[in-house]
Amino acid sequence: MTRELVKAARVRIGDLTPGTDLYIGVQISAPGLSFDISCFGLDAAERLSDDRYFVFFNQPASPEGSVRLLGAQSGDTESFRLLLDQVPEAVHKLSLTATVDGDGRMSQVSAGCVRIVAGGEEVGRYSFTGAEFSTERAVMLADVYRKGGEWRFAAVGQGFDGGLRALLENFGGEVLEDDAPQAPAPTVPAPTVPAQADPAGPARASVPAPAPAPAPAGTPAGVPAGSPVPPHAPAPAPAQQPGVKVSLVKYAEVPEQSGWVQQNPNLVRVTVTQGRDVLALHGSMVAYQGKADFAHESSGMLRRLTANLTGQQLRLMRVSGEGQVFLADEASQLHVVRLEGDALCVSADRVLAFDAGIEHEVRRIEGEGLPNGGLHTLMFGGHGTVVIKTNGTPVVLPVTPAPETHADAHALVAWTRGAQVITTAPVRIRRSAYAGHAAESYSLQFRGAPGNFIVVQPFEV
Amino acid sequence: MDTQPLPGQGIGHFAPAPTGARMANHGAAMCRVAVTAGRDVYAKPGAMVAYEGFLQYEPLSQSFRSALGEWASGERTPLMSWSGDGTLYLADYGADVLVLQLDDESLSVNGSHLLALDAGLACRVEKVKGPALLAGTGLYNVTVSGSGWIAVTSRGVPVVLDCAEAETFVDPDALVAWTTGLKVKARSTLKVGALIGRGSGEAVQLGFGGSGFVVVQPSEDTSDRLKIRG
Repeated sequence: MTRELVKAARVRIGDLTPGTDLYIGVQISAPGLSFDISCFGLDAAERLSDDRYFVFFNQPASPEGSVRLLGAQSGDTESFRLLLDQVPEAVHKLSLTATVDGDGRMSQVSAGCVRIVAGGEEVGRYSFTGAEFSTERAVMLADVYRKGGEWRFAAVGQGFDGGLRALLENFGGEVLEDDAPQAPAPTVPAPTVPAQADPAGPARASVPAPAPAPAPAGTPAGVPAGSPVPPHAPAPAPAQQPGVKVSLVKYAEVPEQSGWVQQNPNLVRVTVTQGRDVLALHGSMVAYQGKADFAHESSGMLRRLTANLTGQQLRLMRVSGEGQVFLADEASQLHVVRLEGDALCVSADRVLAFDAGIEHEVRRIEGEGLPNGGLHTLMFGGHGTVVIKTNGTPVVLPVTPAPETHADAHALVAWTRGAQVITTAPVRIRRSAYAGHAAESYSLQFRGAPGNFIVVQPFEV
Repeated sequence: MDTQPLPGQGIGHFAPAPTGARMANHGAAMCRVAVTAGRDVYAKPGAMVAYEGFLQYEPLSQSFRSALGEWASGERTPLMSWSGDGTLYLADYGADVLVLQLDDESLSVNGSHLLALDAGLACRVEKVKGPALLAGTGLYNVTVSGSGWIAVTSRGVPVVLDCAEAETFVDPDALVAWTTGLKVKARSTLKVGALIGRGSGEAVQLGFGGSGFVVVQPSEDTSDRLKIRG
């Protein structure tokens, strides 16, 4: 049973076939044109951080053999075999691309398709025609990517100006002069592995963790200075094409990962699973996918805290169920802090969310003149994640025994438990900038062994 | 426009870099619009921070007002029309500006998030119905369609969620824009406990399903700052 997929369709591969041994066939019929069809294994940042996962005619297999180029067979212009269960964790997306070899453009394509075959049976097919393209010389055909712990297939069909070189540079790869794609490499070493081969692939090497190569900064530094730049490929600039989706690409969701992920400076995504609840600030959810549930969290300590904190209530909700939840609060900057047995004290009004399983307890720092009779903090310990929000970019100051570190109680965000708050010294500050506005500020003094630090934000609540 | 050296060592690099685009970002929070004769732009009143060249602004024409219907029937015009020849700089109290180019597409934007749009785009205004009305996001949704440019504001860096992967639920206060053609439904996670002050703070969400995406901002502060100022 073949499932027809349209452009931009996304399906779970598990819905198509239970198997993970896939044969992907690409058919492109275009009179007088030839195509280079390649597969890019991209990391979580959609970069080709390991160029051994750029599978093309000169490199017909990835190191452990999970992606193999099979060559033209059974009507397909090019074909690949994917062993999805052997793809290393670091590879998040396999992007299938086609580039015109020589002169020509994608609009000359009369018809084409990407088909997914599993177990000798075609289970999915995405068809396209040249009418969807214009002068592009390359096209991103389809993606096989990880999402929610499973593999999915996306019919992309996105044209791309420039050739294979521009495409490679777009993914952060480097073009070496020696194996420039223009170099003739007519012999495609087709290993002719049958598509439905035994699951034990021929090369079941131990999966090497690809060393994250330093991401090339902006400019394609890998292009040698004297290399002839193809005149038709000025720069990979997909953003210049019209279309809402293209304009918004930079705000797209970050790739799948479990646990806490920083989506952008203001947004954090947490994947909630059964038995792994999250406590978050009341009303801090902005969006979610999946089945998440939000309930009032009440416990003895929190109620006490709520009662104590007049004016700045810490009201929490429990997020349970299964899904991905986006958390944010008034566009403040968020910081995901992973605790590995350390202990961190966070000012109660600077906490956005934390793992329900992490040890937490309410502490109160008492001091003469402190607002509300004391400063409330949540002390976290053990293993887990805490998300802290700050107004503006914070500063992390080391705590040293000799010259003490002082911080304004209002600007203080967090400190390590080893840093001892010893005194609270009221400091009187007259703010003459605002008429009639005289305020007091309270500075806290910290002392501790080296290695401890405090976090201060540029904003006095 | 030449980038002349500006006085002051540190600030010269903020001079605008020329781009050929109709609308472009200058920094995250400012939008630069190239207005040319015959290509007017509609912008939120009060959003102009600077302009160069010969530009004029006026309230919306009567015909466009009638197209906007109820939204434009109040005392204030929801949009100003800028015409002439020059460059217009728009901002909304430091909110992030998203510059989008529609290619024969249509996008639904909450009225309070709409910063500017090409006069050539078609607008349809709908009054918000259902549970989203409870949110503080303003009462009107503008569906903009056609080919052209549109600038949308977002408090903080937004995220774009693909509804085709999974049904997406969004807090109505954090919703910025969405593609038309999505199935929208309300989901309530309101519990009885909320009535006695034990709510989770998340009462109603809008669910989006189908092929398309939604833009979500990382803030639930929806006050229309330009409107507050009056």
